[in-house]
Amino acid sequence: MNRTIHSILLWVFILSLPCLGWAKEEKEEYKFDVSEIEKKPYQLGGYGEIRPVLFGLDQNAALYKLKFYNRDEGRRIEEYNFRLQLEGSYEYGIARIFGRVNGDLSHTYQGWSDETSLYEGFLSLKPSNSFTLDIGKRTLKWGKGYAWNPVAFIDRPKDPDEPDLALEGFWVLSADFIQSFSGPLKTLSFTPVFLPVLEHINDDFGTTEKANLAAKLYLLLYDTDIDFIVFTGGSRSSRYGVDFSRNITSNFEIHGEFAYVEDFQKRYMDAKGNILTSTYDTVSYLLGVRYLTQRETTYILEYYRNGTGFTKSEFQDFYRYVDRAYDSYLTTGSNAFLGKALTLSQGNYSRPNPMGDYLYLRVSQKEPFDILYFTPSLTTIVNLNDFSFSIAPEVAYTAITNLELRLKATFLVGGGETEFGEKPNDYRLEFRARYYF
Amino acid sequence: MKKIFIILAVLIFSVPAYALDGTQLLKQIDRNLNPESFEMYRKLINVEPDGRKKEFVLFSVKKGLDKIAALFLEPASERGRSTLRLGENMWLYIPNVGKPIRITSLQSVVGGVFNNSDILQLDYAAEYDVEKVDESGNEYLLYLRAKTKTVAYDRLKLWADKKNKLPTKIECRTEADMLIKTLYFKEVKDFGGGIVRPSVLETDSPLYKGYKSIMIYAQIKQRNFKDEVFTLTFMPNIDSLRK
Repeated sequence: MNRTIHSILLWVFILSLPCLGWAKEEKEEYKFDVSEIEKKPYQLGGYGEIRPVLFGLDQNAALYKLKFYNRDEGRRIEEYNFRLQLEGSYEYGIARIFGRVNGDLSHTYQGWSDETSLYEGFLSLKPSNSFTLDIGKRTLKWGKGYAWNPVAFIDRPKDPDEPDLALEGFWVLSADFIQSFSGPLKTLSFTPVFLPVLEHINDDFGTTEKANLAAKLYLLLYDTDIDFIVFTGGSRSSRYGVDFSRNITSNFEIHGEFAYVEDFQKRYMDAKGNILTSTYDTVSYLLGVRYLTQRETTYILEYYRNGTGFTKSEFQDFYRYVDRAYDSYLTTGSNAFLGKALTLSQGNYSRPNPMGDYLYLRVSQKEPFDILYFTPSLTTIVNLNDFSFSIAPEVAYTAITNLELRLKATFLVGGGETEFGEKPNDYRLEFRARYYF
Repeated sequence: MKKIFIILAVLIFSVPAYALDGTQLLKQIDRNLNPESFEMYRKLINVEPDGRKKEFVLFSVKKGLDKIAALFLEPASERGRSTLRLGENMWLYIPNVGKPIRITSLQSVVGGVFNNSDILQLDYAAEYDVEKVDESGNEYLLYLRAKTKTVAYDRLKLWADKKNKLPTKIECRTEADMLIKTLYFKEVKDFGGGIVRPSVLETDSPLYKGYKSIMIYAQIKQRNFKDEVFTLTFMPNIDSLRK
C-alpha cells in the first residue's frame, strides 16, 4: 500500500514539474542579472523521469521461453518506469564533494520493484589546475566509441541502445596530472587509478580481496586525441588498450579503439548442455566515423569486433538447449534444465551484443522543416555473424526549457537461432518524459 | 622626364604610408572586442517565430589566439556541459555521458541559429585573411577569407565603425557567396578595465526564416589562465575557475 502511495506521489511530482518550465517560458524581456551568474559553494540538481514501455512478445523465441516458461502474459506486456536522479556538490577551497544518486521505481509484469544506488560520490582535491586527486565512487568512461567501448576496462558496460545514460561507478582512488605544450604535442595527461575489490566494495567487479591498478596516458598530438590504457590486478586478467579520435574536416570525425585482453575466460554451453570454460588471449576493436552533412544530418557509423563474444555456433547450441529444456518442462514439469540455462544467460548470453561482430548506424536530422529543438533519428544495430538486427526510429523534442520528450520504437528482426530473432520481444515502444531541475 | 620620375617615386613611396593595413585593422577590431585572455558571462537566447524563447547562460574563458572553453550554467538540462576549442579541435563534455566527445564547428550544441564556432569564437584574425578593405562614410567593410577549409564560414563581410574600430555587422557566407547568417553587434557598453564593446549580438539566417538568436554579454574581465585549463582532462572542472 505504501509503495502504491509513493508511486502516486512520484507521478504527481514528476508530472507537475513541466508546469514550472511553461511558467518560465511566458517571460518576455531579455534580462541578464548578475544574480544569475553568482557562484554558490553548493549545487543541487537532477531530473525526474517517467518511461512507460510496451513490449510485443515473441512467444516462439528462446529467451521468451526462458523468461516466461511458467506464465502466460499474452502477446503484449506493459511496463511503467519512474526515475529520480539527484546530484549535488559542495565546494570549499581546493576541495569539492560530489554525489549522484539514482532511484528507480518500476511496475512490470512481476509487480512493483525499486532500487536506489549511489552512482557517484567522491571527494576531489585540486591544489592546482595541473593536478587533481579524487577518492570515492566514480565513473571514468574511458574510450572514444559511441555505442561500445572495448577499452573501458574499469567501467560497467554501457547499453548501446542508450549510450548516453549515466552509469554507476566503482570505488577508486585516482589522480589527473595535466601538462600543456606548444608544438605538435599540445597536451599530455596521466590518470592513474587504484581500484580495490573487497567484500562489499566493488565486489561485482571481479575476484575479491584483490588490488587493481589502471592507468591512462592521454596525448593531443597532431590534432589527434590518443589514449594509451592499461589495467592489471587480481580481480580481472590484465588488458591493454589504445584509442584515438580526430577531425579530418570540420564535419567529419574518425575514431577507434583497440583492446588486448590476456587470459580471458569464457563460460559457454555446448550442444549437450555441458557448461565449459575456455581461457584465451583476445583482441577487441572498434572503428567509427561521425559525419555531418550540409543539411545537418549526422551519421554515426561504427564497426565493433568483440573478441570476448560468442561464436554463431556457441549461440545456436545455447538456443537449442533452451528449446530442449522448455520441451522437458512441458513434458515433466521440471524447470531444472531451464534454471541452468537461465543462470548461464544472466550477464552472459543475454547481455547486450554478446556475439563477435556488429555494425552500428545512427542517422539523426537536426530540426527538419525549421522545427526548432525537434530531432528525428534512426538507429540500427546489425549482428554481422547472423545478420539479425534491431532498428529504432525515434523523435526527440526539447522546446520547453528543461523538459525532454522522446518517443522511440525498436523492432527486432531475425530468424530462428539468431541473436535478435531469439529475444523475448519482437518490438518495443516507449515514451520518455524527463524534467531537469 | 626627371619630374615624372620624381612624381612616380613620391607616389610609390607614399602609398604604404596611407594604405589601410587590413590585417592590422582586423587585429585591432579583435582586441577592441575582447582582451587576448579573459573570462566572460553570456546569455544566449533562441527566439522562435511565435515569440517563444529558450535561454542559456554560459561562462567562458579564453587564452591567446586559439584556446577557448565555455561552461553551461543554465538551464538545468544543460548545466555542467562544457565545450572546448583548441584551434580547429572542438569537444563537448556532457556530465551524464562522462567523457568529452569531438564535435564540429558547424554543429550547434544549443540549437537555433548560433553554431559551435559562433559560441566558441576565436580572434577573427586567427581564422581569416583580409582580402580587401573598402571605406564608405563612417564604416570600413572588410572582405575576409578563411585561412583553412576547417573554418566554419568560407567568407565573411565585416562592417566596422571607423571611430571605435568595432564591428557593427558580419555576413557569414559560403565559398559560392551564399549568405548563411548575419550577425548584428549592438548596444556598445563599458564593461570596465578599458573594455568598451557591443553588449548584444543578434543573428538571423535565411536558412532559419523567422528565427533569431541573441547573445547578451554581462561581464568581460581580463584574466590569465594556465594552458592546462584548456585540455580535455580539465573539462569537467571548468566551474572551479569561477570566483
